[in-house]
Amino acid sequence: MLEIKNLHATIGGKEILKGINLTVKPGEIHALMGLNGAGKSTLSYVLAGHPAYTVTEGSVTYHGKDLLAMSPDQRAHEGIFLSFQQPVEIPGVMMYNFMRAAINAKRKASGQEPIGATEFRTLMQEKRKLVGLDSHLANRGVNEGFSGGERKRNEIFQMAMLEPTLAILDETDSGLDVDALRIVAEGFNRLRQADTSAIVITHYQRLLDYIRPDIVHILIDGRIVKTGGPELASEIEERGFDWIKESL
Amino acid sequence: MNQYIELFQNHRELIEGHSLPLQNSLRETAAKAFSRLGFPSKRVERYKYTDVPAVFAPEYGVKLDEPVKNQQIPDSVARRYGTLADVEGDAVTALNTMLSQELTVIHIPAGEHRQQPIRLTRQLHSTVPLMQNRRLLVVVEDGAEVSLLMSDQADEEQDFLTTQVTEIFVGKGASVEVYDIERTNAHCHRFHQLYADVSEGGRFLHTSFTLTCGLTRNTTNVRLSGKGANAELLGAAIIDGQQHCDNNTLIEHISPGCTSNELYKYVADEHAIGAFAGRVLVHKDAQQTESHETNSNLLCTPWARIYTQPILEIYADDVQCSHGSTVGQMNDAALFYMQQRGLGADEARLLLKQAFTAEVLQRIPFEPLRDWLRNLSNLRFQGDLNHCRTCQLCGKS
Ligand SMILES: Nc1ncnc2c1ncn2[C@@H]1O[C@H](COP(=O)(O)OP(=O)(O)OP(=O)(O)O)[C@@H](O)[C@H]1O
Ligand SMILES: [Mg+2]
Repeated sequence: MLEIKNLHATIGGKEILKGINLTVKPGEIHALMGLNGAGKSTLSYVLAGHPAYTVTEGSVTYHGKDLLAMSPDQRAHEGIFLSFQQPVEIPGVMMYNFMRAAINAKRKASGQEPIGATEFRTLMQEKRKLVGLDSHLANRGVNEGFSGGERKRNEIFQMAMLEPTLAILDETDSGLDVDALRIVAEGFNRLRQADTSAIVITHYQRLLDYIRPDIVHILIDGRIVKTGGPELASEIEERGFDWIKESL
Repeated sequence: MNQYIELFQNHRELIEGHSLPLQNSLRETAAKAFSRLGFPSKRVERYKYTDVPAVFAPEYGVKLDEPVKNQQIPDSVARRYGTLADVEGDAVTALNTMLSQELTVIHIPAGEHRQQPIRLTRQLHSTVPLMQNRRLLVVVEDGAEVSLLMSDQADEEQDFLTTQVTEIFVGKGASVEVYDIERTNAHCHRFHQLYADVSEGGRFLHTSFTLTCGLTRNTTNVRLSGKGANAELLGAAIIDGQQHCDNNTLIEHISPGCTSNELYKYVADEHAIGAFAGRVLVHKDAQQTESHETNSNLLCTPWARIYTQPILEIYADDVQCSHGSTVGQMNDAALFYMQQRGLGADEARLLLKQAFTAEVLQRIPFEPLRDWLRNLSNLRFQGDLNHCRTCQLCGKS
């Protein structure tokens, strides 16, 4: 369903992605690991359509459509969701209004009527419980005054609301305490459907103990240099990245 | 400027014949002051962001023979006319005093509480370019309470030049709320000079909403002359196109123990120009003053301009004062975040603008007005303001 071919991307004239090839099939979970600055977040931004990045070469198709030709909101309507590494604070934009606008934008794009007020409230409540997000957080501005962990939880809450077909989790585990990590990961697992996929970016095995990846990729300096099964993640946890670099 | 002096000299009889004697008593003084002052150039500190001579240069028609409203004005109220306004120091105030024939007097006797706001709607309407000089005298006696809802509107594509001078006397322990809503159009040029005096324990709230305008200059002067008086000045300007909105405020702390709070927010899109100069002057005897002033601005394009100048002048030593201003742009990271969740770029911008002005709305104590203004602001941001024709408050139903 997602097919990335020879993807090159730059920011500020600097090439960060240097030929990424990656195919994600329906139902698969891919883990993406790699050193700081390797380009993991860059890849997630490029997939989500961040305007600061320029794609200089390569292609990305999603469900057979040219993803790179779409605006960020169109990509969202197609089912792409990015859980940000650093979710931004938007003071004054209420979570409630924001989520309602997001759901209605998606509905509108597929020719559906806007969601009713009661139905929406019920949905909010149900999803809030799924990820253990406090009700007072849902009544605040988007991430306004949220702690680092609360922001991450809020990302998964939004994912639950929007029911994407491809979720990209960029270090969702960082900033979460042990209990929160378990709750959020379990929430994530409950949201999985047979045909939904995910790319999970992480530095740690712990998250992958909950969210079992089918395939693990190692990204170094803008390229995927190694791909393997779940055992590759444990190996990284034990041995670090040097042995991979040496084998290149 | 000569055109206005000539107008006054050549038609003095007609003007005086169609106004209350009360207004005529000050015309000579005003005319002299105006001749002496002339229109302020941009070199005059308080007018440096608005080209006043240019605004008054074109020829406008003036209606001089409107029938005089028959009003019974108690002497105690009439006496106050022109005593607060800076007739001899401010050229626009002098001009208005020299020419104005349209006087509205609001008198709230001691202890009277008005539940519903008094509405003063001005619908500009003319087939030729028109100048109007409006005058408002508000006397709220001790312990009385009132709110005033002023709304300036203009439907047609006609050139208008309006001046308004408002004098407000807030009695001891009295409470006055003024909501000044402008929703005119690109062809309107407006000056509103407001002067308020707040007596001991009195409370004055001034809310200025510039929803649409051409060129607007609001001058708001508040004297906290009695002990423990309180003033709150709120303002929002939503400007785009070539709109120009200049708010100039002066809060004078004259007596001890007074508080003032000021918050003005501008959203400037396209080529709009916004200016804010807010001066807080704490006199020598005004100990235990508390004053806070903030001006924040959101620039939506590289072409929009904001000039901001909060000024704090303190001559007392026991005071708690803060003032500050910010000018920011649309938060790109927030825009991307919202788009990632599926919102279109326009909708995301709209939410950011609404969020920005929400802080001003939140401070409006009277809920129906707050909701109404929120609705108008939202419509304004969506470019749909003139589609609100059904609601009562708009006076368009
Ligand atoms: N605006 C920019 N101009 C130049 N280089 C940039 C810019 N933004 C990011 N980079 C660089 O791009 C590289 C990749 O960054 P990216 O955030 O994708 O790394 P990452 O793999 O997600 O790292 P981490 O594990 O620390 O999150 C980094 O070297 C970073 O400094
Ligand atoms: Mg990263």
